[in-house]
Amino acid sequence: MRTSFTSEAELLELVAEAGRDLPGWMIAREAFLTGRDEAAVRDEIARRLSITRTALARGFKEPQRSVSGLTEGAAAKLHAQVNPPVRDELWNRALAYAVAINEVSACGGRIVAFPTAGSSGIVPGLLWAWRDEREGELSASSPRLQDAVAVAGAIGAVIAARATLSGAAGGCQAECGAAAAMGSGALAWLASGDAGRAFNAAALSLKNSLGLACDPVAGLVEVPCVKRNAFLAGNALVALTLDSAGIRSAVPFDEVVSAMKAIGDMMSPQLKESAEGGLAMTPTGLRVKAAMEAGFPDAPDS
Amino acid sequence: MSAPSLFDVVGPVMIGPSSSHTAGVARICFLARKAFGERPGKARVTFHGSLAATWRGHGSDKAALAGLLGFHPEDERLSFARELAAREGLVVEFVEDRSVVAGVHPNTLRVELEGGGRKLSITGCSIGGGAVRVENVNGFPASISGELDAVLVRHRDRPGVIAGVTGVLAEAGVNIATAASRRNQKGDEALLVVEVDGVPPGAALAAIRALPEVLAAVHLPSVVS
Repeated sequence: MRTSFTSEAELLELVAEAGRDLPGWMIAREAFLTGRDEAAVRDEIARRLSITRTALARGFKEPQRSVSGLTEGAAAKLHAQVNPPVRDELWNRALAYAVAINEVSACGGRIVAFPTAGSSGIVPGLLWAWRDEREGELSASSPRLQDAVAVAGAIGAVIAARATLSGAAGGCQAECGAAAAMGSGALAWLASGDAGRAFNAAALSLKNSLGLACDPVAGLVEVPCVKRNAFLAGNALVALTLDSAGIRSAVPFDEVVSAMKAIGDMMSPQLKESAEGGLAMTPTGLRVKAAMEAGFPDAPDS
Repeated sequence: MSAPSLFDVVGPVMIGPSSSHTAGVARICFLARKAFGERPGKARVTFHGSLAATWRGHGSDKAALAGLLGFHPEDERLSFARELAAREGLVVEFVEDRSVVAGVHPNTLRVELEGGGRKLSITGCSIGGGAVRVENVNGFPASISGELDAVLVRHRDRPGVIAGVTGVLAEAGVNIATAASRRNQKGDEALLVVEVDGVPPGAALAAIRALPEVLAAVHLPSVVS
């Protein structure tokens, strides 16, 4: 089996040659690469989906508080809001779910790096919001939801091949930006069943997060990461809406990813996960850093 | 580079908050524990660079303790590793070394274990997204990712030892993915690292240990689920 690709164009050519659909081919490729059968790959996707659902439930049920105190129950607040200003349930659920999962990550809970820990709420938040709002019959063991994960993985794999999925190498555009592209593509797939539409939504989403810096306060994966999971889930839903209206990205996905790589290379190292620029260097950021270096004397025992 | 595997992108399963400062540290310490083979009597973990600056906020110490307790990096007991280590009597000294060394990855840690008259020192770096690379074992340069199962063989630098090890693995039907041998000086000690597909059977390990000139052999399980 030919498994090597570095672009959407190459990937979709391989998929067409094999006569499979995109997620089916991605799962066959994984089976080939790891020496298991396709059913075992689907089982592993289901296991990972279930872990994200458990994290989601935990984010709402148990108030999450991090050692630093920077993360404290934002998901519960979103969930408790009776009269949200924007009245779309898919939107509201996606934002709250993304934050719930990422708060669990920030507070040392079990999650799936999707594609990283700092961006771990976005894709599963979108998928579970879609499931709860649109297709309540889906579960982790539904091939359709597993297919959506495989589509997200395909988009992430192209980004990893052409650029990077590491904030230290490419800034936050490569973490939360990539996650939003993966999530918008997964939902576009659920909405249309069309691989081209998935990559179009991903291109639209990724264009809008180009240049996003990774400047976490005190180097902790909390500020701006946790709330950014909500913002970028919203970004993904905007891309989904545009794609659904038939709006094409003027710049194709592969070129957008190359632009992301170029921007990441141009970014100062101070804006790439070193906690030496941006929000990390604000008076507030420096105060948190000093407290951390003193061992968080005010923190409850973690 | 070519596109990575699906489960590299959608994964790993891990305990938050940071793939590099938590999951990576847990993986390196897990590999160190497996390489040592038992609970160490004494342990020291030195955090360098970015890890030295931010380990408290990331709970990197809990991740290290979990690994040294032998917990797989996705084991949720990582959250309670401090309490569990105390109960098991595992005491680890944590050291910060904030000096920045050129050519050394910013997320590097050194793990030193002692017990039963043996010592082990492992240096590894957390290179992003939970991926790790063990770069040094007891002074021998190495490159171990933990993606595959591996067999570590400490042996005297004599003719035929490597052939003996690969022969045992071949007979057991174990496919070798990579193999690298380093010695400190001619005729002295050497370290052979063999990465394999699948879990090598215990009988093969025993046969390797029984080979002439082999001083020790351990199985390092994959850190990937």
